[in-house]
Amino acid sequence: MRIRDYMSLAFDQLRRRKVVTALCAAGISIGCAAIIVAMSLGDSAQSYAEKEMNSFLRIDEITVTPFSAGGNRSGESNPNSEEAIRGQLTDQKLEVIRKLPHVKSALPMQSLSYMPMFMSDDRNNHVEVIATDLNELMSMGNTFRQGSPSDIPDTIVLNHGATFGLIDQQALNDLYTKLERDPFNEELNKQINQIQKLPASLYQKQVRFKYQGMEPNKELSSSYMRVTGILAKPANSTDSMAVYDKKAYVSFETAELLMDQLKLSETSGVAPLKKGQYNAVVVKVDQQDHVAKVEEQIKKLVLNTQTNLNQKDRLTEQFAIIRTIALGAGLFVLLIASISIVVAMTMSTYQRRRQIGIMKVLGANLGQIRNMFIIEAALLGFIGGLIGVLMSYWIVWGINGAVITATSSQETIIFIPFYIIPLGIFFAILTGVLSGIYPALSASKTDALTAIKRD
Amino acid sequence: MLKIDQLSHSFRNGLEWTEVLHQISFEVHKGDMVALLGSSGSGKSTLLNLMAGLMKPTEGSIYIAGQDIVTMNENQLAEFRRSHIGFIFQAYELIPNLTVRENIELPLVFQGLSPRKRKEKAMVLLEQVGLPDKSEMFTSQLSGGQQQRVSIARSLITEPSVIFADEPTGNLDTKTEEEIIAILKELNKSMQTTFIIVTHEREVAEHTRRVLTLRDGHLEEEPVRTPVLGGTT
Repeated sequence: MRIRDYMSLAFDQLRRRKVVTALCAAGISIGCAAIIVAMSLGDSAQSYAEKEMNSFLRIDEITVTPFSAGGNRSGESNPNSEEAIRGQLTDQKLEVIRKLPHVKSALPMQSLSYMPMFMSDDRNNHVEVIATDLNELMSMGNTFRQGSPSDIPDTIVLNHGATFGLIDQQALNDLYTKLERDPFNEELNKQINQIQKLPASLYQKQVRFKYQGMEPNKELSSSYMRVTGILAKPANSTDSMAVYDKKAYVSFETAELLMDQLKLSETSGVAPLKKGQYNAVVVKVDQQDHVAKVEEQIKKLVLNTQTNLNQKDRLTEQFAIIRTIALGAGLFVLLIASISIVVAMTMSTYQRRRQIGIMKVLGANLGQIRNMFIIEAALLGFIGGLIGVLMSYWIVWGINGAVITATSSQETIIFIPFYIIPLGIFFAILTGVLSGIYPALSASKTDALTAIKRD
Repeated sequence: MLKIDQLSHSFRNGLEWTEVLHQISFEVHKGDMVALLGSSGSGKSTLLNLMAGLMKPTEGSIYIAGQDIVTMNENQLAEFRRSHIGFIFQAYELIPNLTVRENIELPLVFQGLSPRKRKEKAMVLLEQVGLPDKSEMFTSQLSGGQQQRVSIARSLITEPSVIFADEPTGNLDTKTEEEIIAILKELNKSMQTTFIIVTHEREVAEHTRRVLTLRDGHLEEEPVRTPVLGGTT
């Protein structure tokens, strides 16, 4: 028998028994929709978590450091050893890294230290000062909210977080003294929190850094620097998050000046800057999936690398469990739905005994009768699957609508990944086929003579 | 063509066995039209079911087109019926959700023939049974006589070695009965198709040249004679 004939006979039967077909398809569609929605929820939650995590942990970035920095077994490093020289992070290696496939940008970034940043009116906060190529900041996904980088020495670029929490030191000290006396004073706590979130206008203002020197009570101070640019708030970040991420970017030339003025090598152990050599480079990769591959290539250059991929892997593992549970729940619903098909198909087998008998007398063999019923059940599963897909889109649309209304967000959180659609239909057809096996076997065993006998 | 050799069949009735057919032997040649006459309970339907491979005999052999169907398994029998045996039933046994043409094509569907070839063959047979304009109608829209014509066309579509007609006129009025018998005789003559007609009506049996009578499981053959409306053998 031809597939087309099987399909035609199966479709004809489904069309004739509209109510039974509708009930069975409804059962399967609910199961299929349950699988699609449950798995989509799992995927959407993972995607959302990854997106959020990426904004904090920057999973698409690799921090590269010289091989000798923590790379030897003893934990001590001799800068003149052969190993240390081979493991240096040089300009040449930086160029090689920049040319690696999937590398979007590679930017030297050397953290000098956390230090207080003072405005001319003595208001201050604490920022991490980083030496980098200011002109390349945008290549790391940054945008400027105000101004731009400048090649002039003694200029500085601040990130969004660095513009918050600038307060007069004396006023802050007074508040902390009061808090020490009355630690459960909610009003006081609230006041300190609000100060941390207080924005200041720093564009084109003069700032300087201060650092505690080796000698007691001798505070070292840098020269004033002009803020030529302020970076915009990163996507997926809020002001509340930004206040805990305060960074000031300076050129290597300015960094050298700061190192000298604040004697950072002596006071905080910051390694002196050497021309053509870097202590750290941040590499931005085009996609998270390519990070491991790029990291492997960089390691071949005798360099140390550090990524947050393990965080992503942990998250993926956790969501794999959630997805499995979701799939299990969907399959359970399908199992329940399959009972309805078994019942309906078995009833149909009984009702069609005479027809089966005639077909057997006319030459249909066991396999052909069995296949007729299995294909009918598979077709039922397919129809149920298609309805299930439509139903799942409707459910997801409803959930997204409810979330948007509740959170006044414009972004849809739940989406149906494309790979889940064929998976849902596959499970629907599988349910149909498995449910159809018993009725099909039962039909094929029908005794033709008994079936066509008339009382 | 068809050879029955020492065929016996018994049914178990509780602890006892009841013999329905006893040591039956006969032969039917290609192009024969034979009536199997018998009253109710004479064993004629059992003999028909045995010859069609729908039952297994207790003893004996049944050869059709040189093959002993008694030794065949269910699937082999299905395939054998598909290509060597045609059926005409008293109650037509057409499938109501299929059109007239689709009903006629059904045995060819099991053979895996292409839809185009199936349609060609079905249309030729519809012409022969006088229903060329009914091909796309459903069987419920036809009269009893028309349905039996469809059943005849269906039995012929695989060009079988033998056609078993089980009380083919049992549900029809006299006029339609005459028409159906005339069609069968015409097909027997024109296509040299072998027919075995099972009937309890002497009037129907008299249309054939050869009559086999079953009485209490024993077969008696009446002398060959000229049928009422002429015959081929």
